[in-house]
Amino acid sequence: MSALGDLVTDIVAEVDSVFLFSPSRSLFEAFAGTDTPVVVVAPEADVDAERFVELPLEFNDLTERVRFGVEGGLDNEFVEEGDQIACAAKLFADDIDAVTRVRAGDYDQSGVYDLFVNSRAEPAVIRNVLEVAIELGKKGQKGKRVGALFVVGDAGKVMNKSRPLSYNPFEKSHVHVGDPIVNVMLKEFSRLDGAFVISDSGKIVSAYRYLEPSAEGVDIPKGLGARHMAAGAITRDSNAVAVVLSESDGLVRAFSAGEIVLELDPEEY
Amino acid sequence: MQLGREWFQGLTSAEQNFVLAVLLVGVGLALGGVTAWLVRGVLVAFDVDEAAEGTAFERTARGIGTSTVGLLSQLCALFVFVVAALYALEILQFLPTQQLVVAASWLLPRLFVALLVLVVGVLVGDKAEIVIGDWLRSIKLPEATIIPRLVKYSILYVAALIALSQLQVATGALLVLLAAYAFGVVFLGGLALKDLLSSAAAGIYLLLTEPYSIGDEVEIDGARGVVQEVDVFATTVENDGEEYVIPNRKVLREGAMRVRS
Repeated sequence: MSALGDLVTDIVAEVDSVFLFSPSRSLFEAFAGTDTPVVVVAPEADVDAERFVELPLEFNDLTERVRFGVEGGLDNEFVEEGDQIACAAKLFADDIDAVTRVRAGDYDQSGVYDLFVNSRAEPAVIRNVLEVAIELGKKGQKGKRVGALFVVGDAGKVMNKSRPLSYNPFEKSHVHVGDPIVNVMLKEFSRLDGAFVISDSGKIVSAYRYLEPSAEGVDIPKGLGARHMAAGAITRDSNAVAVVLSESDGLVRAFSAGEIVLELDPEEY
Repeated sequence: MQLGREWFQGLTSAEQNFVLAVLLVGVGLALGGVTAWLVRGVLVAFDVDEAAEGTAFERTARGIGTSTVGLLSQLCALFVFVVAALYALEILQFLPTQQLVVAASWLLPRLFVALLVLVVGVLVGDKAEIVIGDWLRSIKLPEATIIPRLVKYSILYVAALIALSQLQVATGALLVLLAAYAFGVVFLGGLALKDLLSSAAAGIYLLLTEPYSIGDEVEIDGARGVVQEVDVFATTVENDGEEYVIPNRKVLREGAMRVRS
């Protein structure tokens, strides 16, 4: 038993700060009295933590969750590059059951925190679009696998760098993503070709858009198709972010500034 | 039945009165119980108990070993019982004068209504404070604590005013105060919200007719650029890193130039 205790002590030895992922109130209060700075990473600020990083999506993958939390901590200057961080998070159970140690800035910044917080569009809008894409990827449209491309934010510029393929079904309508009925509409329209354009505040501006940004210098992994290329190019050419559901491998990818910043498997959610 | 009547007729008139009074008190108790049960049923059916959850009033009621619903139903039962008891006292001729009966029958219902209004007022005030506070928190604006409190005290004030006027206490001065307050809220609020309201009216027109939409190049009041967002209050126009937020009333007043190219 003492060997196991030593192992855990080694993991948390001399850390500069502790990151608690969705802690219970009592756990947080137990930590609040200690000397080590505590950062809470949770979907909702319900424990009144002084240092708090909002988690927009319950990342099932622990690596993604930790990565998001640490990038958020760096961005808010709760931690500095090179700081040793102990992370306590839930992995299997409903409460915290795993402790891990990470050095801030050890892996290159994936920009997943920037994707949500420092994009033009509001974090809630990006989260809603991701949720639609995940749901679409999980169930497909009428049991058939589909692909989809959502361009979020900077809609004025995106509209000027694209052209309509056909009549815009969202013309003169004022609907926003996140509304359950609208999400059903989005899924219905996903069988149309082309991209969805969504504004900073989440208004669905258009469907059926053919994007024509300049694709020069866009570098995406080989093997991904035209949809991903278009997503990479439009995010490089404007301040938008793009959420792509791949028809071939079923993964959801988010693009920002021409690069893939997030890759999710819908089946895990 | 026959036996009972013969026994009753055999009693002296004072004894008859006493029996009647006892019966009346018994009926009053029973009716009060039924009233409490009915009121409780109705209140629970309307989810009053859930609505009262978390209010300061409910907490106080819990502190004295009852609940909001219990308190309200007990109040109704008490009223029924007190009326029955009053009649019993009258039959026993315990009340010194007839005037007292008249005064009591005038005062009792009013006192009852006044109490009920007060309780409901406190309850609604508490609830309104909680609901508005929650709403402000949900839109991430918990700092504006003055608004829920203001709403609460306004409701309490109106409830107290109704209760006092039920008891025919002179409330003229308080009424003037209320009128002044209402006028202040409406007038100053209107003055403060004037721009917002006119922008919203224009915004509804813009959203319905869409003279320009996201992606169009427009010039409004000297600001030229690509429309990024149109909402009820404002239009956002962007041009090379410069973002103009133009209130919609300006669009309607000055007009907009849409660039066709």
